[in-house]
Amino acid sequence: MKKRYLPLAILATAALSLTACSSGTTGGSGSDATGQTLDVWIMQGTNTESDDFFDRVGEEFTKETGAKLNVEMVQWADAHDRFVTAIAGGTTPDVAETGTTWTAEFAESGALAPIGDYVTEAGLDGELVEGLVEAGTLDDTLYGMPWYAGVRSVIYRTDIFEAAGIAVPTNWAEFQDAIVALKASNPDIIPFPVAGDAEQLTYPWVWGAGGEVATKKGDTWTSGLDSAESQAGIKFYTDLALEHGSSTAGATTWKETDVLDNFAQGKVGMAVMGSWTPATILDKNPELEGKIGSFPIPGQTSGISPSMLGGSHLSMFESSENKDLAWTFMNMMTTGEFATEWATQSGYFPGETTALDATVASADEITQAFATQMVDGGASLPVTPKFGAVQAKKTTNTMIQSILSGEKTVEQASADAAAEMTEILNEK
Amino acid sequence: MTTTIQSPAAVGTSRSAAAGGPGPRRRRAITIAAARPWLLLAPALIVLAVLLLWPLVRVLIFSFQDYGLREIVSGDTNFIGVDNYVEALTDPQLWSVVLPNTVLFAVLAVLCTVVLGTLVAILMTNLSVLWRTVVGSAIMVAWAMPAVTGTYVWVWIFDADSGIVNQLLMGAGLMDEPFNWFTNRWSFYLIVLINVVHHGFPFVAITVMAGLLGVSKEMLEAAQMDGAGPIRRFFQITFPSLKQVFTVVIILSTIWDFKVFGQVYLMPGGSGTNRSVLNLGVWSYVESFGQNRYGFGSAIAVLLTLVLLVITVIYIRVLMKEDEL
Amino acid sequence: MSRKITPARVRRNVIVGALVTLLLIFTLFPAFWMISSAFDANAASGARGLFPSELTLDNFIYVLNDGGFAVFLRNSLVVAVAVVLASAVLSLLASVAVARFRFKFRTSMLLMILIVQMVPMEALVIPLFVQVRDLHLLNTLLGLIIVYITISLPFGIWMLRGFVAAVPVELEEAAFLDGASWWRMFRSVMLPLVMPGLVATSVFSFITAWNEFIFAMTMLGGASEKYTVAIGLKQFFGEHSNDWGSVMAASTLITLPVMIFFIVVQGKLSSGLVAGAVKG
Repeated sequence: MKKRYLPLAILATAALSLTACSSGTTGGSGSDATGQTLDVWIMQGTNTESDDFFDRVGEEFTKETGAKLNVEMVQWADAHDRFVTAIAGGTTPDVAETGTTWTAEFAESGALAPIGDYVTEAGLDGELVEGLVEAGTLDDTLYGMPWYAGVRSVIYRTDIFEAAGIAVPTNWAEFQDAIVALKASNPDIIPFPVAGDAEQLTYPWVWGAGGEVATKKGDTWTSGLDSAESQAGIKFYTDLALEHGSSTAGATTWKETDVLDNFAQGKVGMAVMGSWTPATILDKNPELEGKIGSFPIPGQTSGISPSMLGGSHLSMFESSENKDLAWTFMNMMTTGEFATEWATQSGYFPGETTALDATVASADEITQAFATQMVDGGASLPVTPKFGAVQAKKTTNTMIQSILSGEKTVEQASADAAAEMTEILNEK
Repeated sequence: MTTTIQSPAAVGTSRSAAAGGPGPRRRRAITIAAARPWLLLAPALIVLAVLLLWPLVRVLIFSFQDYGLREIVSGDTNFIGVDNYVEALTDPQLWSVVLPNTVLFAVLAVLCTVVLGTLVAILMTNLSVLWRTVVGSAIMVAWAMPAVTGTYVWVWIFDADSGIVNQLLMGAGLMDEPFNWFTNRWSFYLIVLINVVHHGFPFVAITVMAGLLGVSKEMLEAAQMDGAGPIRRFFQITFPSLKQVFTVVIILSTIWDFKVFGQVYLMPGGSGTNRSVLNLGVWSYVESFGQNRYGFGSAIAVLLTLVLLVITVIYIRVLMKEDEL
Repeated sequence: MSRKITPARVRRNVIVGALVTLLLIFTLFPAFWMISSAFDANAASGARGLFPSELTLDNFIYVLNDGGFAVFLRNSLVVAVAVVLASAVLSLLASVAVARFRFKFRTSMLLMILIVQMVPMEALVIPLFVQVRDLHLLNTLLGLIIVYITISLPFGIWMLRGFVAAVPVELEEAAFLDGASWWRMFRSVMLPLVMPGLVATSVFSFITAWNEFIFAMTMLGGASEKYTVAIGLKQFFGEHSNDWGSVMAASTLITLPVMIFFIVVQGKLSSGLVAGAVKG
């Protein structure tokens, strides 16, 4: 039983039993919140139309509660440090979007308010995507309200593939052949960048080869990055760059945003990117309209290589003075119309199952591949507050970068990374 | 070396007593005179005490604790003795990567900055007024470039895919495919070195040049008459009379170059991904904020401060007499 | 000695000329490259020459409007001016105390001032952050200003005491004999003479206020409308790391005010620095 695969199908059926979409507001803050302001932090770059979106949410929110909504956009890259300093400084907002791997960490510091009772009261128990609930739970208490989820799949240039007569690859061997063919037909483009500062682009190859990032036995975590399977996956992935010229020297220090930027500039043939990126790509470079497609990350021999089911929670901070008001906002955002709209605009999938079904049903062609990836190939990273520390330490990034730069072999690098990860995960 | 330097203060004391004027006002004047330095110092001292000394003491206190986010929020203490220091000092990374990077870089950077700055200063004194102004202005441009912008400009110049350095090298046929300068420890620090020297030598050049212009012409000419070559003249006359200038310039450069942070942190891979380029400052920061281990980060910071302290004390012992302070 | 054109003289001029050229290239190239990329419509497109292939102001318009640099520049200006003025006043007063008076703890005070300069900024981030939090000044420019004043004070005091010590005591005594009060003497005798030193220290406090980004990052974390240029640029780079045209345009906007300021004060600065160092 592979824990990391999310029992989404089970969820969907469970959701059917609870039909009603309870979008009615709880807490009954009503008009007594007039004159108050709710401070909210939202991550930037998720939705290209977020300004307009939050204008309308704000209007609706004011209509419903009388309170004002103050949305501050936060950049992902700095977000972790900003949260930490805000928590330390007592300057946290009322509600914030928190990355799923951070919620437990912030909850552990005592900064987040438990929201389980609100969820129960709103009749949302069992209505939320389990992977997100799990990530938002610490010591059996729910702190993160599932908002949206996303996965990474391969986005590629349909025009280039067609012109060169390359078929969509369905396994790793074909994937490698496609890269070689791309390099031959279009020497000017980067066939498939292997980014050295992007851990999420690495895990699919680890999982796809049958490896694990980390597993828990009893109370002890063990990183599986140095298992034979993981090493085979990592070797395949890095060899694409080192042996088959799929990448560039510059990509050794790229982050995911660099991959996105270069793809948008038309310099990249295909890349593993998030379900939220197509809108951004087209926003940055409208010329690519109709020239991009997507397919799930192929499995080693067949099927799908899983990618992380990442996403965001909306979390309520203990510092919030009017928690009912905060919940009203959270409920409004994560269920019903606004949830579906946000998901459709951004390319994410809602964290509430009713909205999720609605989104998947109306998904366009590009989104379909991501929906498939999410249902059949969505995996989760180790659920522990300490994994945030692993990410902050950039353990996996360091591993990939040192392999790409030739500083270490796959064996050395993965052994070092596994040792470091195991140590951090088991710190008290 | 006790020329005019310590006398003003001594004269100042007698003067403030004497200048208080005659008669009955004198007694009051003495009390005011005694209080005056403290009155003058008070605003600066208060600010320094509240925002520098007390935080410094706190860093020391933190460094003996397992101090995380929870402790910061609650204000609780959690003492663990010297564990943080033991961990830092027994970390093989400290000895194989962090310390060599910090110390070797600082030594090289100080050396390059001071030597280049001095050479430029000598060059400038040999120029006509017009050219001296031109070069002076150019130096100002280099100095004026803020560290953050400067770093990004150098990153752009050395960018692997479209940076001009790689383009030139490839165009000249010296390189077959682009090289990523940021992944290799040596080339990474070469760029940091260029960046830091570029930003740092103007201060040295301007200071030394102004000092050079003040060196006695008569002595130099006399030495020339005696047949001393330019190099000997520099080390026998110019250098000794600029000893204080060099002391200040070297101490300040050392302090600045040991603490180099942004120039490393903002480069690709510099914020922790590329472990082989960590230095003490960056290590302290990423351990503190990335791992929420403020106690451990503080211990590293204390170590860095101690290293600087030792070096400065040595400098002062060698180059300065206490009464010159 | 002779003014005649001799082979040795020619050779010397050629060498000097070559050195000056090399120096100018080294000092000016980054600034040139930055500005040239900022005006280039296709800066990030790969192979670009020394000069923009297609001149454009779009990069500047983009960073000023969408990048928010108009606000960042204003914030930084407010911070820089406040820091320069306040730290000049405070360090001048303090330097008069340590240079003109001999009192108990004077040497230890000077040693302390020297030592606090050695403390790495990163070490102070956490305690200073807690301190500013306790003063309820997080997310405010005032909090940042106070922190920067603190950072620039030790250096300012250390530099300025040399200037103050260099003011001839006879001049002061003459002023006293003329019946001037101490403050009067301070204003009309000492202040003009230490002006070059004030310029020098102001340059350093200005650099601090304009360049610093760790404290800005932690103390203004939750308020991007309060960002200063350094942290604003860092944020912008995080989002547009491959849009070199815009990044360089933002860098140019940040750098130009400093460059102008530096070139204007150049003359005063050089005499100021050396006086501070020599007499120090």
